[in-house]
Amino acid sequence: MITVLKAPPFATVQDLGRIGHLHAAVPRAGALDPFALIVANLMVGNSRDAAAIEWGVAGGEVRFERDAIIALSGATAAATLGGRPLAEDRAQRARAGDSLTIERIQTGAWVYLAVDGGIDVPPVLGSRATYLPARFGGFEGRLLRTGDRLPLGRAAPTAVPQKQPPVGWRTDKTDAPIALLPGPDRGLLAAPAWDWLLGTEFRVSRAVSRMGYRLEAPPLALTLPGDRLSAPACPGTVQLPPGGEPIVLMPDGPTVGGYLRIAVVPTTELGRLAQCTPGERVRFQIIELSEARARLRRQEELLHRLAQSA
Amino acid sequence: MSGFPRVEPLGDSALLVVLGEGADAWLMARVVGLAERIGRAHLPGVRDVVPAYGSVAVFFDAVSQDGEALAEQLALAAQAPETRAQAPQRAMHVLPVRYDGPDLADVAERTGLSSAEVIRRHSQPAYDVHFLGFAPGFAYLGPLDAALVLPRRGEPRRRVPAGSVAIAGVQTGVYPLETPGGWHLIGRTGAVLFDPARDPPNLLAPGDRVRFSPVEE
Repeated sequence: MITVLKAPPFATVQDLGRIGHLHAAVPRAGALDPFALIVANLMVGNSRDAAAIEWGVAGGEVRFERDAIIALSGATAAATLGGRPLAEDRAQRARAGDSLTIERIQTGAWVYLAVDGGIDVPPVLGSRATYLPARFGGFEGRLLRTGDRLPLGRAAPTAVPQKQPPVGWRTDKTDAPIALLPGPDRGLLAAPAWDWLLGTEFRVSRAVSRMGYRLEAPPLALTLPGDRLSAPACPGTVQLPPGGEPIVLMPDGPTVGGYLRIAVVPTTELGRLAQCTPGERVRFQIIELSEARARLRRQEELLHRLAQSA
Repeated sequence: MSGFPRVEPLGDSALLVVLGEGADAWLMARVVGLAERIGRAHLPGVRDVVPAYGSVAVFFDAVSQDGEALAEQLALAAQAPETRAQAPQRAMHVLPVRYDGPDLADVAERTGLSSAEVIRRHSQPAYDVHFLGFAPGFAYLGPLDAALVLPRRGEPRRRVPAGSVAIAGVQTGVYPLETPGGWHLIGRTGAVLFDPARDPPNLLAPGDRVRFSPVEE
């Protein structure tokens, strides 16, 4: 059991999300930064898709009611465990009764707290991910609140703190542009609009949610098609509404959409965008589809090495 | 733009099979038929097959599967003769509707019809469930009576109550959850369109038919 002593402003239970329900209009949900969730899970000896706490915006405090192996990943945080500063690059032993305090989130937006055995809430449609719009999954389908008591799964008897993870385990903060693939409606976008997308420094809006991140920029002086028939979309899809401010869909986003799908952020890059906080500046750069898939395989090799390093 | 059918990427882990453009019944039947055929083929690594207007999205595991090879298989599937062994049994759902939506008077005014005539024309047809999308339980239904076709609202509502019965363009539908929305709200129903504890969770499935039945209080 974990007791939430002081709930952060925006925390949910997440895993890697629901597979196979998109045709029923049920979004995948799951971690905004899946790579970070997997890393935290592997560090404590969990399977990749165990449920963890996705902890956002600001600090808070939780208490472990049994001995546990814990790890933080994703955004960097100033944290203490049982009153001692917490080293972030490896798993830690927490004693029953120890409190983990995150004072503040330093770099990035979302911290993942994995515990050996995982957060053992009941799966809904094959996943423990919280899907807030329909209030199901996770802990009672909602944000964590002070006083919540989250059940933990049985820890594997062999679980021991992992060695330090290999280089590249953290979703680094860099100024490098976010990679983009051309979207299905790219052909409907005039050349100046395409140049604008690739030449503009966007600001992450305050209107960020698990459904989508809106990006602000000087408005595009072009008439964009308005009403269109709804077409399939996926996390990472860059939609361009007639107002000219792009929206990048996130894991809780709609399965179909009526706005132009001008581009798609590749799978390996979406977590880096999700870790951007409101006001942060982002640029985009087109890459080849083959390069996007090669990056996916390289990430997989990194995770494989981490899983083997116990 | 190349012709139809065509296969194009949607990011690195999904492919779109595009059969055409529009919302007509013939195209939708082909889209739903193709989605069923792809689903039945159990192609390795395929995780989800999602029909929408004119196209089918196929989500796959791009780590273990070669996207190029899958694209070729899908192109073949799209060109294969459309054999539907037997016409599947299609469910007919009758949803009770209280026609007291906040946009009913506005829809009547903009279409030049009386409210009673809007209700009559909306509740008369049996609609096809084209596909599910947008939010859990949301079914795109059509075709709408031509006299009721209006563009979406200029300014979407930030909150549309669950159970709202709405129209937009050639479509009609029911908002299953409280969400933002830009359609015209003409009524509400108590039908539960989505329940994650139900199997299947959605009340409506592609190919089903739906009729709205006006009720008083």
